[in-house]
Amino acid sequence: MDYKYIGKSVPRIDGKEKVSGAAIFGDDIDFGANLLYAEIISSTKAHALIKSIDTSRAEKLEGVVKVFTGKDFPFKFGLYMKDRYVFAQDRVRFVGEQVAAVVARTPQIAKRAALLIEIEYEALPVVLDQMDALKDGAVLLHPDLADYPHVPWFFPKEKTNIAHWRKTRKGDLEKGFADADVILEETYEVPRYAHCAIETHVAIGKYDLSGRLTVWSSSQSPHTQRHLFAEALAPLGLTHKDVRVIAPHVGGGFGGKAGVTMEIIPAALATKLKGYAVKLRWTREQEFVNTYQRLGVVAKLKIGVKNDGTITALDHKIYWDAGAYVEYGANVVNAVGLSAIGPYRIPNVSIDSVCVYTNLPPGGAYRGFGYSEMLFGLESLITTVANKIGMDEIAFRRHNAILEGDTTAYGVKMNPNGLLEAIDKVKKAIDWDKKLVSKDPTKALGKGFSLFWKAPAMPPNASSSAFLKFNEDASINLIISGMDIGQGYQTVMAQIAAEILSVPPDKIRVETPDTDRNPYEWQTVASHITWSSGNAVKKAAIDAREQIFALVHRVFNLPIDELFLEDEAVKCNTDKSFNLPLRSFIVEGIATKDGTYKGGPINGRGMFMPEYSSAAGDPETSQGGHPNVHYTVGAGALILEIDKETGKMKVLKVAEAIDAGKAINPDLIKGQITGGLLQGLATVLYEDMRYDKHGRLLNPNFTDYKIPTSMDVPDEIIPIIVEVPQPDGPFGARGIGEHTMLPAAPMIANAVFDALGIRIRQMPITAEKVALAILDKGGKTDG
Amino acid sequence: MAKIRITLNKEKRRLDVETNETLLEVLRDKLGMKSPKCGCDRGDCGSCAVLLSGKSVRSCLILAIECDGVEITTLEGISQDGMNKLQEAFIEFSSFQCGYCAPGVIISATELLKANPHPSLDEIKEALSGNLCRCTGYTPIFDAILAATKKEK
Amino acid sequence: MAIAHEYEYFAPASLFEATQILSQFGKKAAPLAGGTDLIVFIKEGMITPAAVIDLKRVKDLKALEIKAEGLFLGANTTFSDLVNSQIIKREYRLLWESAHSVASVGIRNRATVVGNICSAIPSMDAAPALLCYDAVVHLISLGSEREVPIQQWFVAPRKTLRKPDEIVAGISLKKPADKHAGIYLKLGRYKGEDLAQAGLGILVTEKWEYRLAFCAVAPIPARASSIEGLLFGKKLNPELILQVQNLIPTEIAPINDIRSSARYRTHICKVMMQRGLPAAVDRLNGVEIDNTGILGG
Repeated sequence: MDYKYIGKSVPRIDGKEKVSGAAIFGDDIDFGANLLYAEIISSTKAHALIKSIDTSRAEKLEGVVKVFTGKDFPFKFGLYMKDRYVFAQDRVRFVGEQVAAVVARTPQIAKRAALLIEIEYEALPVVLDQMDALKDGAVLLHPDLADYPHVPWFFPKEKTNIAHWRKTRKGDLEKGFADADVILEETYEVPRYAHCAIETHVAIGKYDLSGRLTVWSSSQSPHTQRHLFAEALAPLGLTHKDVRVIAPHVGGGFGGKAGVTMEIIPAALATKLKGYAVKLRWTREQEFVNTYQRLGVVAKLKIGVKNDGTITALDHKIYWDAGAYVEYGANVVNAVGLSAIGPYRIPNVSIDSVCVYTNLPPGGAYRGFGYSEMLFGLESLITTVANKIGMDEIAFRRHNAILEGDTTAYGVKMNPNGLLEAIDKVKKAIDWDKKLVSKDPTKALGKGFSLFWKAPAMPPNASSSAFLKFNEDASINLIISGMDIGQGYQTVMAQIAAEILSVPPDKIRVETPDTDRNPYEWQTVASHITWSSGNAVKKAAIDAREQIFALVHRVFNLPIDELFLEDEAVKCNTDKSFNLPLRSFIVEGIATKDGTYKGGPINGRGMFMPEYSSAAGDPETSQGGHPNVHYTVGAGALILEIDKETGKMKVLKVAEAIDAGKAINPDLIKGQITGGLLQGLATVLYEDMRYDKHGRLLNPNFTDYKIPTSMDVPDEIIPIIVEVPQPDGPFGARGIGEHTMLPAAPMIANAVFDALGIRIRQMPITAEKVALAILDKGGKTDG
Repeated sequence: MAKIRITLNKEKRRLDVETNETLLEVLRDKLGMKSPKCGCDRGDCGSCAVLLSGKSVRSCLILAIECDGVEITTLEGISQDGMNKLQEAFIEFSSFQCGYCAPGVIISATELLKANPHPSLDEIKEALSGNLCRCTGYTPIFDAILAATKKEK
Repeated sequence: MAIAHEYEYFAPASLFEATQILSQFGKKAAPLAGGTDLIVFIKEGMITPAAVIDLKRVKDLKALEIKAEGLFLGANTTFSDLVNSQIIKREYRLLWESAHSVASVGIRNRATVVGNICSAIPSMDAAPALLCYDAVVHLISLGSEREVPIQQWFVAPRKTLRKPDEIVAGISLKKPADKHAGIYLKLGRYKGEDLAQAGLGILVTEKWEYRLAFCAVAPIPARASSIEGLLFGKKLNPELILQVQNLIPTEIAPINDIRSSARYRTHICKVMMQRGLPAAVDRLNGVEIDNTGILGG
């Protein structure tokens, strides 16, 4: 199929805005002289009862408008489970939790006043490790867990710290292990990570004198935010109609700006300060300690394999450190609990994915939604077990790769996919069979391989919609509510509309959303937006096209089936001379001989919901539902150079192939691969969140939480696009945004093993860890 | 409160500042220049970069009052006469994603190209090492700068 | 993050005026040059000065002076001033490399060497070079002046011999009389901007005098005097390097912190000696060596 705009690397339509300094982000909006600034007083304790809060000194400071504490907002909120509070109520559960707020005329005064607030705590036992939190007698973070409302596919265990336990069972595990020639059992650990979008969270709430609440928010989820604000603040008499969320450009999301975290605070504060705008911007430190973090993991794996390379059984137990509140994070646990077989065909499976409360900051969405953590262990183990039976690890992966029609762990058939093609292309790109020896005696070279897969984790009814409005010159305003968090969403949606309507993408304007004016979109998460919103946009464009054809048919009596759009004009297969430019009628209608006009402004609408999706699987086995709409798959490999004494590592070459279904904009996909790979490599080589025994984060800044710089990129990156169409995707497309970082950690772990014979099972794999492991193995110069 | 005079994007400005206001705050809140962004507020991320007498600096680490008599250029100043070759190359190579770091990156690249119109890849990496970008993986930024220097020939 | 703290700001035009203000405020005064450390300290509430004294307009405070016998790094000399000087790059390679390893361009354009030694953070990159060049710190207060050798300057983390009423007017350093070569090795967590996990400056002369100084592996940056004593007058050989490595644990006092473990720091110091000493000697013999690749990137 030849397309004019689909499959073409058209320039981003937000380009000029973003490189000229014109793009407006949340903190850039001016609110005039009645803007107030909020400063949050955070908990210094990981677990404690609040005995008293003395705000009197702060209230007396000139310029302070009001001071608030938890008693002003006794409201709970949460996306999948309502376990969070606008402000801490009787107790705090992590260091950094919001306890009180000062609202003042200037940020300086607000900060000064915040220092004057005195809070008295009574310490409670602290549990920072999920394995400790699971022990009998562990302190309970949420004694009232049984009363918390949650989605029907969560299974909390009352009087424990288990907020959710996803069990997936398939086949006969015992028989599977009995059939195996080799059984391996290993434990892998992954620490917590921070998103590190360069823009910190910012939100401004304004409750106007008529009782309307508007929140400007740096967000991946404006409609979900409106919904949660309206729900949480319903006791104040607010309904959805009274709440409006406006989402300007977002300075990076990576999952961290999904759902609602700090945005509820200025929304709530505004309701008590009618007529003012109240701004809250997280400092970088607050961004580290009081937004979602990527959950920590302890994974216990047991795999059974036959000597011919067939996997017979997998027992995968994953214990998640989900933090003090799991309203979003529990769904990470759920998603991985369904998919922890990886992209493999395994007949006998047991997965236990356990969501555990700890006294650390709330875990939540982070690019990859748990799959990176799961794949670190699984893909390390796959290499290990392939080595154990003496089989090439790629051949092993190929032998067990899940193909179209194979069944997933929960019994649904796998979608069409290009996994084998991805494996073969990566293998070739990295020249896998070529033996590597470093010319430098101080260096070792190793190769690492990994497969990956991921499904969008969504409620079964997550939906998208689109409005499309023609202007007089046939330019278009596409009115949608996904967020361009950098991935190029606006451009890709413009390309889809452009293809259907024969209007070039640069004549299509896509604005950031406003929930009052833009139609519903669930959230910009799960890498589902190209697929889901793309379907809605395509339908909206087709709707507009149908209106156009109906009008032309009505006026010119040409057969509808023979009409088509080309170069911004309506043309007809059976009448080659017919050429009606869109601009001649698209708003103003078609003039007829009697001086009347037919038609009028053409506006399209479209919506999409995957009506086959269902979360109603059996709680004990997960069989019976259809929880995932499809998987995107791929493979990656890299060549790593390691200094055998310093442990310093350098990625000389990395190839990653991803099955995009259809690459609507190949350059943007390559951009995702380049950026996502580096983010993934950083989680394994440099980053991790370090806590002391009191639950305080030791590295809440870029001085000690090291995200890569321009000097820390791989020498060579080879992005590879595979295209096996997704039947229900727009032009066959699937999402790829998160997936690009998934193979990074196991690739490094496997390359370190290949180079040194050392298997590291705890992320990150820093130079220091590698160097010390070499010393432990008998290297020189220790002590 | 003190009165200072600066030249901002070639325009002479006079304004009152507090002794504890940073240049970043004053540029954004009192002078309407929104392209310098706050990312870390301690000099680590580079998103607040502006040119001070032609040299890139972290406006979050400078007091506005220090800038009396100084010439300041922000991305707004660079963009006033339309897109230059560097900015065009940034669009061509999709050298930004979310765009939040882009103003700081362009400021650093502008400083580099003025001193060294044909930098090597290593020199580009070095010049940008104080500008954190979480989206792009940097490679598209290198590509754009290299392409822009070729066009300058 | 707004600065909540309030203070008076002074921008004296003369040294006399500056020292006067300083003596008036004493401990409550904070001299300001580049501000890349100071502004962070004030923002985060680590210091609460009553007066910030901006020294950039003091006419008597010189910038970089390059003389035949040595250098004078005036109080307002930035790291970029050093990095951008071809003479420094050619003739004071160790100093140039240490300046070049400080943070990134946008910080180096503002941050001063004098400010760096006044902040006295144990990982400071400038210290090993200054220690190897036997630098002298010049201090001025109202009505008096004194000089302090850099070896004595650092007292404890973030503590120096500077008295509250003193301004550091500059740092002078002399070239060794004999032909010499130097190199700076820094271990960071990655290639990009980072505080040193360990840093080592090496200066070697053709008469086999070795000057070695560490940062980030003890409470204060310091010369490795016992190793210098061992090496003095000797030509390098593998056995000698092994002896040097054996002395490392007695020469440094590393801590476990967020950036590194003491064990890794100790190990790396040994690797730095093993690789850095021959590299310095190679440079002495005219071999071109890139210091940034020596530790493996």
